[in-house]
Amino acid sequence: MTYAKAVADGIWAANAVKVGYIPSVTVAPVIKALVATDGGGNGVSSRVTPLSREEEAVGVMGAFALTGALGAIVMQDNGFGNALTALATFPTSYHLPLLIFANARGGLGEYNSMIHSISQPVPAILRAVGVPVFELDRRHSIDAWRDTVCEAGVHAVMTHRPVVVLGSFWNTDGMVA
Amino acid sequence: MKRIEALAVLAELSRRHPVVVTCAATSRELAAVRDSDNHFYLLDAMGLVGSVATGLALGLNPDRPKVVGIEGDGSLLMNPNVLPTGGYLAPANLLLVLLDNGIYGSTGELPTYSSHIDLEALAAAAGWTTRSTATADGLRATFTELLDVEKPAFLHVRIEPGNAPDVAKLLLDPVSLRDRFARWLRDEHLVTAVKA
Repeated sequence: MTYAKAVADGIWAANAVKVGYIPSVTVAPVIKALVATDGGGNGVSSRVTPLSREEEAVGVMGAFALTGALGAIVMQDNGFGNALTALATFPTSYHLPLLIFANARGGLGEYNSMIHSISQPVPAILRAVGVPVFELDRRHSIDAWRDTVCEAGVHAVMTHRPVVVLGSFWNTDGMVA
Repeated sequence: MKRIEALAVLAELSRRHPVVVTCAATSRELAAVRDSDNHFYLLDAMGLVGSVATGLALGLNPDRPKVVGIEGDGSLLMNPNVLPTGGYLAPANLLLVLLDNGIYGSTGELPTYSSHIDLEALAAAAGWTTRSTATADGLRATFTELLDVEKPAFLHVRIEPGNAPDVAKLLLDPVSLRDRFARWLRDEHLVTAVKA
């Protein structure tokens, strides 16, 4: 079991019916695990699809709640700048559950000299607009990663809103960037 | 044809369809013409009609009436990603109606790109089956024709600039809109309530 596989297992355990992703090298193993467990290949399966931008993912995956199902997004945290208006005006305002897992950048192990400018304030920005954030890193077990992602999906449904899990892969079996 | 005239036609044509409507004047005018439980007004999520309609189409039974998105040119240009995404995901039960007046009708009537950019050609290049019209009769004919297309369909409707006068603002709670729309979907599209 890897941390990436634990995230994938948590998303399926939360009963997500569709997962849209915006690629990053850090979440690529999560996406590959999602696709593999869904019987697909080359980044696509019947329940996993690429999307081109984060706010679009919020619209497409958030709409599943209207049909009685849970959608999920896998992305990188620097994309929350793109997604913020969509998050605030669609699933948050309409009380629609949505599960989002994002890898955290800009912290320990970061090589990029500017990405921290958006990534470090992301938890505070999300909380400021009323989006709950649960953070995972090297101090949490693989089982805790899976269980947290799953429970975040349940929490989204129970509290009728988007919920974000931020995972830092530094000093895990994954990579920062 | 003014926007409100096009919306009057669309309100009649889409009675059995889930309808996702762009914000501001378009939502207000549609609600003024005919408010209905099958209308899902995006009160402030400009640019998301195509995304929400695509997600809805993917989540609903494709054998039921198509999801209809009603979008404006300014809003589509804010998120043109919806065209390649809809073409790529290709839900057969999606019809996006673009009401193109060439301006940002709700924000000072400033020009959009649409006088220079062929939005129907963009949709066609992205894999949508497209039609265009500028009349009420043409709208009825092309809308009906596109209901039989088994891939994403895009209807480009040229309309005149100008908002209808004396149309009330939509001061609805988004949660109440979600509730009535989800209830309509449960009744008409046989979906269930979301479960943890």
